[in-house]
Amino acid sequence: MGVSYPAIGRWLFAEGVLQQTIEGIRAIGQSEKEAGAFWLGKREQTAHVSFVVLPHGIGVEESCGRWVVSAEVFGAITRWAKPRDLCLLGVAHSHLRGVPPVLSWTDRNLGVRVPGLIAAVIGNAGEDADYRRWGWYVFEGEEYRRFTREEITNRISIDSSGKFEVWMADSKGVHVWETR
Amino acid sequence: MNEQQSSGTSQGSIAPDPVVGRTAVDREVIDVKVDYLPAPAPFVRKYKDETTIETVRTDAMNFFGVKDYQDRNIHKFFLEFEGRVLENTSETLEQLLGPHRRSAHFNLIERVTQG
Repeated sequence: MGVSYPAIGRWLFAEGVLQQTIEGIRAIGQSEKEAGAFWLGKREQTAHVSFVVLPHGIGVEESCGRWVVSAEVFGAITRWAKPRDLCLLGVAHSHLRGVPPVLSWTDRNLGVRVPGLIAAVIGNAGEDADYRRWGWYVFEGEEYRRFTREEITNRISIDSSGKFEVWMADSKGVHVWETR
Repeated sequence: MNEQQSSGTSQGSIAPDPVVGRTAVDREVIDVKVDYLPAPAPFVRKYKDETTIETVRTDAMNFFGVKDYQDRNIHKFFLEFEGRVLENTSETLEQLLGPHRRSAHFNLIERVTQG
C-alpha cells in the first residue's frame, strides 16, 4: 500500500506567507531573473500554509526565463522540514514582465508532481501583489490544471492574523531569512 | 508524525518465518525510513542488510507514487543519506551503513537532467 495524499479542499495562507513570497522574489525579478518559493504546512482538508522557504544561492538557478531548484536543495529542505512535521504544499515562482502568469511546458514538467500540490505563477517579476491575478494550478491526475476564477475565490483564503515563518535554503541547508 | 508501515514483499524486505521470532535468513535487520517532502507520511520498512539501495529506492518510489521518466529531460529519483546523494544504487545497506548499524533514514529527491 502506498502513501495516501489527503485531498485538499482549501488552502489557507497566513497573509505574511504571500507578502514574504513577493518580497523575496521581487528583488531578483528586478534584475530580470525568475525566482520562487516553497510553501509548506500541514496537509489536511484545509491546508494551513504557514511556512515559506526561499531557495537562493548554491544549487538554485535564477536566470531570465528559468528558475530551477537542484535535488540537493530539495534534500536540504526535506531534512529541515520533516522533523517539523511539514509537507510541501505548493511552489510559487515569478515570470518576468510581459510574460503571462501561466505554467510553461518546462514549469509543468520540471515541477513536483504529486496530487494536490499547487503551483502559483506570479507575473511582472513579482510586482503583481494581488494573488487573485496570479496563475493558480493544482496537480490532478497526470498534470497541472489551472484554477478558475471561482476556484481562486473559493479555495484560496487568506488569514490576516496567521502566524508564519520565513526561511532561505541552498544546497548546504536551510537558514533564517535575511532581507535581500 | 504519522508513520505508515508499508506492506509488500519486494526482494530484500523481511518476510514472515514459520518459526516465530526468527527471520528467514540470519542477517542483520535494518529499520529503514524514507521521507519525501510533499508526502504526509514516511515510508517505513525493515530490510535485510544485504538489500541494495536500488531495492529501497524502488520500494520508496512505489510507496510515494512517483517514478523515473523521460520527456525532453531525464527525471530520476535518488535516495539521499546524511546529505549525500546515493548514486551507486547497487551498494547494499551493509556496505553503506557498516556491519552494526540497525537503522537508516533517507530522503527521496528528484534530479532532472536536461535532455
